[in-house]
Amino acid sequence: MASRAMRCLVRILSMSALGAALAFSVAACNNQTGFSGSVGNTPNGPALASYEILGTVGTPFTATVSDARSSWTLQGNVPLSIVICNNVLPARIIATKTTSNSNLLSLEAIIGTRVADLQSTSASFGTVSVQVGGTLNSIASPASPDLRIFVAGPADQRYNALVEDITTGWVISSRAPNLILFDSPDGKVDATLFGAPAFPTFTVNMTLDGAVVAAVVHGPNATIREP
Amino acid sequence: MLTQIFFDGFRVKDFFVHRTAGSLIAPFVTLICVLLAGVGSARAANTAQVEVGFVGVPPTNFQNVLLNVQSVRINRNAAVGPANGGWETIPVPPGIGNSPQNADLQIDLNTSQNLPQLFNTADVRPDTYEIAEVQLDPNNPGTLIPDCPLAPPLSATADGCINYPIQLAAGTNVISVSNTGPGGLIAPEKGKLVELFLQVSMMINKAPTTAGGAYTVTIKLASPPTNPVQLGTVTGSVSGSPTAPTTRVQPLTVTAEAIGTNTPIATAPVQNGKFNLALPAAGGPTGAYGFGTLYDLALVGGADTYQAARLPPLYPGQSLSQNFTPKVGQTLGYITGTISDNCVATKPVVGATLQLLIPPDDITPTPPATPATFCIDSPEQCIAVATANTDDAGNFPLPGTLAIPAAFDNVPVLPKKAAYAMEITAPGYDPLFVQAIPSSGKTGGTCTTSATGATFDACDLALNTGYISGTIPITPPNPGQTTLVQVFAEDHGTNNIESALPMPLAVTNSHVGSCPGPPPHSCVSFTLNVPTSDVVPSGFDLFATTIDLYQGVTDPFQGHTIAVLADVPASAKPSAPGVCSPPTTATFPIDQTIDCVGHGSVTGGPSGVANANLGTSVVLSKDNVLITNAPVQNVTTENPNNSYAFCAPADTYNLQRLQLPVPTFSVVPSSAPTPVLDTNTVTVTIPPPPPAGGPSSAPTPGIKCPTTCEYPDGTCPGICNDVIKPIPE
Repeated sequence: MASRAMRCLVRILSMSALGAALAFSVAACNNQTGFSGSVGNTPNGPALASYEILGTVGTPFTATVSDARSSWTLQGNVPLSIVICNNVLPARIIATKTTSNSNLLSLEAIIGTRVADLQSTSASFGTVSVQVGGTLNSIASPASPDLRIFVAGPADQRYNALVEDITTGWVISSRAPNLILFDSPDGKVDATLFGAPAFPTFTVNMTLDGAVVAAVVHGPNATIREP
Repeated sequence: MLTQIFFDGFRVKDFFVHRTAGSLIAPFVTLICVLLAGVGSARAANTAQVEVGFVGVPPTNFQNVLLNVQSVRINRNAAVGPANGGWETIPVPPGIGNSPQNADLQIDLNTSQNLPQLFNTADVRPDTYEIAEVQLDPNNPGTLIPDCPLAPPLSATADGCINYPIQLAAGTNVISVSNTGPGGLIAPEKGKLVELFLQVSMMINKAPTTAGGAYTVTIKLASPPTNPVQLGTVTGSVSGSPTAPTTRVQPLTVTAEAIGTNTPIATAPVQNGKFNLALPAAGGPTGAYGFGTLYDLALVGGADTYQAARLPPLYPGQSLSQNFTPKVGQTLGYITGTISDNCVATKPVVGATLQLLIPPDDITPTPPATPATFCIDSPEQCIAVATANTDDAGNFPLPGTLAIPAAFDNVPVLPKKAAYAMEITAPGYDPLFVQAIPSSGKTGGTCTTSATGATFDACDLALNTGYISGTIPITPPNPGQTTLVQVFAEDHGTNNIESALPMPLAVTNSHVGSCPGPPPHSCVSFTLNVPTSDVVPSGFDLFATTIDLYQGVTDPFQGHTIAVLADVPASAKPSAPGVCSPPTTATFPIDQTIDCVGHGSVTGGPSGVANANLGTSVVLSKDNVLITNAPVQNVTTENPNNSYAFCAPADTYNLQRLQLPVPTFSVVPSSAPTPVLDTNTVTVTIPPPPPAGGPSSAPTPGIKCPTTCEYPDGTCPGICNDVIKPIPE
């Protein structure tokens, strides 16, 4: 009986360890290989970089994000995480603080869980710029189509998401507020966001060329599809 | 089968999604259980608070001394190893980092010389702690940006105003300080706040010997700092029993804000009816107690009514007392809606900031004025108690969390349907003041549409804006290179910047405009969103800078001339919703051509700024357009040098003192003081760097072009020049 209980305990512990290791690996991978590498037979996507616009909470900014193929212009407030699905490195982001005070604006390029490049400013309307994956000499032309998924909340909560077009899926580990940009999607795009069981409600919208085309408020998981 | 055809023709790889979801459930549950278990046990035991701050002792002749901090941790035993379970971690604050940690807080040792820079406050176990550690980013511990060199030798690694990584001589990213004596470093007690201020000193061991190489440095910690910490305290009581925090009610807290702003400096929970804040307080050689720092306090949460107070100046080592008597058990409501552009129909205003304003407790408006109308008429006398932002569709507020709802989802409903004053701001738009009534139902509250409006409707509001269109002459970059141009507009004669382009202008050799002149020249066109003449009747001064790379990596300072244009009129507000006024024209003259000139710097030298205090800064301007300002550093140490430094492109500038008035002892100001620009100016010319690289011989060999930019003949700016220019009184 004791042996059976011990075997059961060992099995539970080993499954928990495996689960935890898998969870941490998913959370940490930030899609270095593309989700398609482990499920299905679609090819690996290129490495994804993500960007964190941080500092004094609420500080407004305007930013231009560009990879080697497309660029996007956006406005927002600190904090904001940005991910470009299907990106082509090198990539560069330029942000200008749009307030006349000494609030901190910090721009960080993340590869995996590593801060690859970082610049900060406290100057009035200070401008910062970071790049990743080499030198991007020129800002690419505006994305076409310009498809964005904005995960407005819940604030500061980590979640995972699968974002895909009809050929490739991307696993993203991020936190809200989060802007997901999709560079040159092949067909229509959908995203499924996974919160933990006790996770609050996702507030998500999808814009296509500046117009909101889908909006979802749901939890702990949510799916949004391009109509 | 990986794809599925929906009846509407939309194909998604549904199995892919469901399989993914299923595979993620188990690790998610495990992960969350692990995390919640840790949080629960920590919260149960951690009942004291530690506030961590930094005081910088940087090396001289650097524009910025930047450290990338991941966390601070403390332990009660100085002899334990890094894996010991007794470490208490104070993480970087929310908005910068979160678990799992993947972001840094960048601190500048230069800017924390005068006043401590608060890092974060966290709960810890009550105990005596002997050791504190600062954990820097192991991959990128920090960056040095030197001023331009003053004298030879000028090697290929001597250039200034660019980023140099640092490498720690100790070979570890962890810096520690310990005290094994009685009392240790700190001994936080249950329910009390203790300050842990860490003096961070950096010494240069070795300058880089290769281009792009790292400075080898030694960083030391000391606690308490060797100079007196510029810190004061604010304590007080809060009457009544607040509603306990739930999934709908945020906890009761007191937040100290920089006077007249919604910028939080520190937040303290109200525990057992009391609160305790430790805040930076400007000392220095001014007056008997120092310069003094001005704060507002906002009491928010716990289903109490909002309360606010404006404080007299806070001095180092002194304590102020402020008590609050809110009404408890209030019904909480929502204020939600959208913000759009009144000039372009349906265009959302993204990233707008909304604030609820209330008068300080000691101001009672005289009827028929109400607190809301008082704050609309005199916003400078009121205090922000709740802030929200719009999302990418112009909707507000952004959602909060279960534990901490969004501030605009937790607004106490006032009796008799009374309203709050709400201010909406966005760069390039007129600020809008309206009255707002929260709703406890599902309607999202109601608002007036203007400051004087009396009809309340859904809070779908529109902001007025105007436009400036113009051209800036520019020398096109060489083929294969791009110059990015950013344009700013500030109130005429001031350094109050109002707007910037949402996206920099990209100029290449083949993609550049042509202006007729005379003489005809290359130029770049722009259109800038600005507030209207209703708000800025004096018009605008414009300046344009570039965003450059230095040998392919990001350059913190530009190497092209800054183009300026003063006194551009503002346009009128839209005559009707969706009907814009025509833009005003801004044609930069040809003597303001944006050209490659290279970096330069101007510094105060040993004399610095005469008789500076903690309200003194220096403004850099060109042709009567204020470009940037820098606070005077190293004012409060035993041997102050009142230094300042600018990295600016080689050019001729004016320098002026900008002085914040000294707050009057024990007097509560009605509004935030306004700095005054000295009429005396000092002119400085930064000579351009000698050319380097290219086909001809160069005086600074070994430099690869382009540096911060490139000349038409293929050479580029070499080692930049520094000019010492003290500022007399």
